[in-house]
Amino acid sequence: MSILRYILLILITAKSSVLFAQNDTIYHPALRIGFDVSGPARQLVEPETSTMELSLDYEWMENFFAVLEAGILNVQIEKESHIYQADGKFFRAGADFNLLGPQPGSLNDLVLISLRYGFSTMDHKAPYILIPDPFWGDHRSSLSPEKFRAHWLEAGLGLKTELFRNLFIGWGLRGRLLLSKTREPEMEPYFIGGFGKSNNNTSLMLHYHIAYRIPFR
Amino acid sequence: MQALYCKYRLLTSFLALAALLILIQSCGDDQVCEDITANDLRIGFYTAGEGGVDWTVVDSLKAGTPDRPGQFIYDRIYSVSSLELPLNPSGDISRFVLDFFTTADTLTVSYTREKHLLSVECGFTMFFEINEVSHTTNLIHSISVPVEYVTNNLDEHFKVYITDTDNSEK
Repeated sequence: MSILRYILLILITAKSSVLFAQNDTIYHPALRIGFDVSGPARQLVEPETSTMELSLDYEWMENFFAVLEAGILNVQIEKESHIYQADGKFFRAGADFNLLGPQPGSLNDLVLISLRYGFSTMDHKAPYILIPDPFWGDHRSSLSPEKFRAHWLEAGLGLKTELFRNLFIGWGLRGRLLLSKTREPEMEPYFIGGFGKSNNNTSLMLHYHIAYRIPFR
Repeated sequence: MQALYCKYRLLTSFLALAALLILIQSCGDDQVCEDITANDLRIGFYTAGEGGVDWTVVDSLKAGTPDRPGQFIYDRIYSVSSLELPLNPSGDISRFVLDFFTTADTLTVSYTREKHLLSVECGFTMFFEINEVSHTTNLIHSISVPVEYVTNNLDEHFKVYITDTDNSEK
């Protein structure tokens, strides 16, 4: 709840700053290339899971951005009781809307509402599985490589601030709802690339971006 | 000035959320594997009479399997209202002998197995989908299966109805 309260506070203060702003900026379409640093950051805490993600957005209308995001996933878990490996790719397409509107001077900060459709495909396998059982005895087995696909919708809120000219940093909080996935797989994946942990049909993830804007003039 | 203040707020929020992310992720690893890999078949004992279904207590019980004679899951326990029986993760059928001392019943459970990766640290566990249950009828009257998926939830999977000996005598 405290996160939501914090985000709400940011949105209210950001919107109020627009009231003071004068509409003296001229709209210039621009392409922005971004890198999601939360993947490498996550790897520091969870070295078994690595994701790399790039994004591309284009302001096709003032305050409206068409967005494409793509990334790769690699999971390598090797423990005494199990080995699990996964390789996958994921894609998202959608739009961002900037709540902040035009700003005075050279500021290009954004408060964004995001909507996305996401798709992920992956191959995963478990070459060694040990399930200990004190009564029946340990169960040893493996799971051969299997393809897994998932589709989802997501919505989110985020910020981007222009740290230096054309260089942005920002974060986005995304809520995701799984629409469909491979039916009755032999094994549920540990992590769906671009979606998150696959424990249930929803996920909430925080992303951090570094992005560079290429102005078209 | 207003613009600078706005930028300051955005940067502060970025750093605060970065700290929050690290905090949340460091808490996520604090799991107890024994608790979340516990996926035993949970049984409750009941009597079904003219007054409806009542929860009941079995005076004393031994539980084991005919596949492993001499080994017991429970070796003489008293005042039993519920029971947790481990399903065999290496087979599709588990058989249990419930020895009530005055008499005994055999319970045969067939199921489909599904391996499930819980987490990096806890590894895999087996979930089960119950297909069929059969039993002898010495003390057990009947069995209903309100929950057919045996996972790490704390559901009661079987309601075992004990023959109402008081009514039988009437």
